[in-house]
Amino acid sequence: MTTALTQGLERIPGQLGYLVISEDGVLASSGELENDERAAGVIMQMVRTACRFRLHGAAEPPLKRMSVIFEDYVYAVTISGQKVFVVKRQNNQREPVTA
Amino acid sequence: MEATLEQHLDDTMKNPAIVGVLCTDAQGHNLGCRGSLSDEHGGVVSVLAKQAASLTKDPTDTPTVCLESDSGTVLVRTHGTITVAMHKMVS
Repeated sequence: MTTALTQGLERIPGQLGYLVISEDGVLASSGELENDERAAGVIMQMVRTACRFRLHGAAEPPLKRMSVIFEDYVYAVTISGQKVFVVKRQNNQREPVTA
Repeated sequence: MEATLEQHLDDTMKNPAIVGVLCTDAQGHNLGCRGSLSDEHGGVVSVLAKQAASLTKDPTDTPTVCLESDSGTVLVRTHGTITVAMHKMVS
């Protein structure tokens, strides 16, 4: 079951690690996020917080994707079938030049 | 000082892709807002920024949180003691 759940995540370019989380806890983890219960807890809290963010007239569910962008890496978070998929990827974006 | 902030908020709204902007402090108090973002969003914005910052041990690496939905994208980033949220629509 775990293989089917994670085979797509393994192939994501620039992937440094991933987490698959359900309400019951971490279902799968790998790379830099292997056994990272702390990151899993923080990201689940963030998903719950972000789901409370309601814009007027917005359709539900409000959240399609959440990214947390750091200088060198990004946590890309999506929700599918009662599971939260988190991928830590390299961030190759350059900061915009301010004139 | 407030007049400067209000002016910045007005200037930000001149960008046609931006439909809402909000400034909040660490407690979620609204310092100023325009468009689709209002008082009720201050708490969630400041909490999200704080939770995101706890994902790194490096205090100088400030994260940007990006929430994507059918109603557009909300970007959240802390600058010093102020957290700014911006609501953009894909046009």
